[in-house]
Amino acid sequence: MDNPLIRVGNLVKNYHRGSEELTVLSGLNFIVEDGEFVALMGPSGSGKTTLLNLIAGIDRPTSGYIFVGTDEISSMTDSQLADWRSRHIGFIFQTYNLIPVLTAFENVELPLLLTPLGRVERRKHVEIALYIVGLSDRMSHYPRQLSGGQEQRVAIARAIVTDPTLLVADEPTGDLDAKSAEEILILLERLNSEFKKTIVIVTHDPRAAARARRIVHLEKGVLKEDIKAEDRGSVRLADSTLAFADVKS
Amino acid sequence: MKFFPLIFKNVFRKKTRTVLTIGSIILPLLVICLMGSFLSALNMPDPAQTRGMFRIVTRHKVGLASPLPVSYAEKIRQLDGAIAVTKFNWFGGKYIDDSARNFFARFAVDPETLVLVFDDATITSGSANDWFNDRAGSLVGEDLIKKFGWNIGDQVVLIGDIYPTTIQLTIRAVYKLQNEPSDALFFNRKYLEEVLPSFQGNVGTIWIKCRDGAAATKLADEIDQMFENSPYPTKTESEKAFQMGFVSMLGNVKLLVTSLTIIIVLVILLIAANTMALSARERVREIAVLRTLGFSSWKILTLILGESLILALIGGIIGLGAFIIGLKPLKASLMNTPISGFASAIKPFPEVLLLGLIITLLVGLLSGLAPAIRASQRPITEGLRHVG
Ligand SMILES: Nc1ncnc2c1ncn2[C@@H]1O[C@H](COP(=O)(O)OP(=O)(O)OP(=O)(O)O)[C@@H](O)[C@H]1O
Ligand SMILES: [Mg+2]
Repeated sequence: MDNPLIRVGNLVKNYHRGSEELTVLSGLNFIVEDGEFVALMGPSGSGKTTLLNLIAGIDRPTSGYIFVGTDEISSMTDSQLADWRSRHIGFIFQTYNLIPVLTAFENVELPLLLTPLGRVERRKHVEIALYIVGLSDRMSHYPRQLSGGQEQRVAIARAIVTDPTLLVADEPTGDLDAKSAEEILILLERLNSEFKKTIVIVTHDPRAAARARRIVHLEKGVLKEDIKAEDRGSVRLADSTLAFADVKS
Repeated sequence: MKFFPLIFKNVFRKKTRTVLTIGSIILPLLVICLMGSFLSALNMPDPAQTRGMFRIVTRHKVGLASPLPVSYAEKIRQLDGAIAVTKFNWFGGKYIDDSARNFFARFAVDPETLVLVFDDATITSGSANDWFNDRAGSLVGEDLIKKFGWNIGDQVVLIGDIYPTTIQLTIRAVYKLQNEPSDALFFNRKYLEEVLPSFQGNVGTIWIKCRDGAAATKLADEIDQMFENSPYPTKTESEKAFQMGFVSMLGNVKLLVTSLTIIIVLVILLIAANTMALSARERVREIAVLRTLGFSSWKILTLILGESLILALIGGIIGLGAFIIGLKPLKASLMNTPISGFASAIKPFPEVLLLGLIITLLVGLLSGLAPAIRASQRPITEGLRHVG
């Protein structure tokens, strides 16, 4: 498998805080293969969110390049980036970030409003996305009428409804109880294995990371570790039996 | 417009606040429309509604006894704002005898222009055309007809004193004025010119019907200035003291109404802008989410402007609708008051409705502009980290 989807090279990201300059990422190199499920780990403040945002095209690097597929997103204009995100990125947030005045259906439909699809086609896509996340019966519910786990599943439906190239998730289970977190992780895993989605998640939770095929450690702005899934097959097996037990009980 | 449900739901996100904001657009808008209609009624009246209004009269500065050159009438007619001009000559003389009972006002006039200037007069019997066509005909007030028991076709003989001639007139038409006594007799000045060539060239008073109140005020000054240094200086006044005061007040009223309107518009704008600013501030994070999904800055800008526009339009449409509907009962309630004349001239003037609509659109766009620009330009990552 040598088909890189994401190519990041010499990536530098500085923040200015007053006159001080804070270097968060200092010459980072990173490759994600097409179809991979990568977990980004690291201590708080290490730059995980920063890296994820850069890959998702909602932030701009200080220097270096980022390719996703053949698109060099680090050189796009703001409006090109917006258009690119709408077609290639599904973003999943820690706090779900659903629009409270819209129903589950309407929330999932949002990204489709940016496409030329007609009403009927949009409905079909939304129904499929909600079906995949198992919420076909909650379409007309408002976010406040849903549990945290359900909200996050709606958010995932919203992320996948346009069939994006890449799914990114910033601590998608950070606000959830263990059981809901497990369900979300199983869902992400399915999206990766069944629907061949390339997924990059940021997480603090080792159990979440264990779902990924590959774990990347970020420390003080550089990539510290890169464990391939093959090296920790046993951990994964143990974890999934645990999850299975969790779901059953 | 597939974004409409999103915009609409955002407008009604905080229902109480939205309703209050809409209310604070509706009420001031009503006030503006009312004031605007009042001004319009005074200013650009429908001729049918303003019969008898905006009439001024020019005479010799020294007094009524001194005549003016007849050419003045034509000069005045050419001034802007003068709709019609007619000439009056006080005939005087006597009817039967010099007793008070037989005294009434008699004028030699221009029949065709008389009815234009005195457009508030109605012909109650006979016809204006009969009078126009009979050089020795006369137009007589209804009160006089009743007093003397005259009929159409009757002869009236007047023995002149100022003008030494006896004239014999046939009553061809009867007039009635709405709010004044109808007790004068008018006959064609051409008749007098024929029998008394020395009469030619003089006019006692010149009556001018003006386009509107502003024109009346302006013309009164303009006419007197025009003839100030001639051998026959003039004095021009409004027909009635009441109207005089009213007309001269008009300039001030206009200024007052205009400044009030501007203040009110600014107040609406502040209220709507505050609502939009609050609403956008509460949604910093949501807007960042939308942009993460691929909504461009431009789209965010239009969504927020769309919101403020819809908010203002709801208020504007309700306000203008209420104004149109409420106008009838309002007019009815003013019917028996001293301003009934103006009240009847008030209607949903297109220019007032247009002004209301323009204000609405302006408030809609301006109130949303600052929050829209701010929201669409804020970096996405900053918006996503926003708490609140
Ligand atoms: N907009 C910003 N301006 C200034 N500094 C920032 C900004 N965003 C992030 N930082 C700083 O950059 C560093 C990395 O932030 P980042 O959010 O990427 O960390 P993280 O690894 O995601 O941490 P956590 O696990 O707590 O989410 C932190 O020190 C943070 O304070
Ligand atoms: Mg983070």
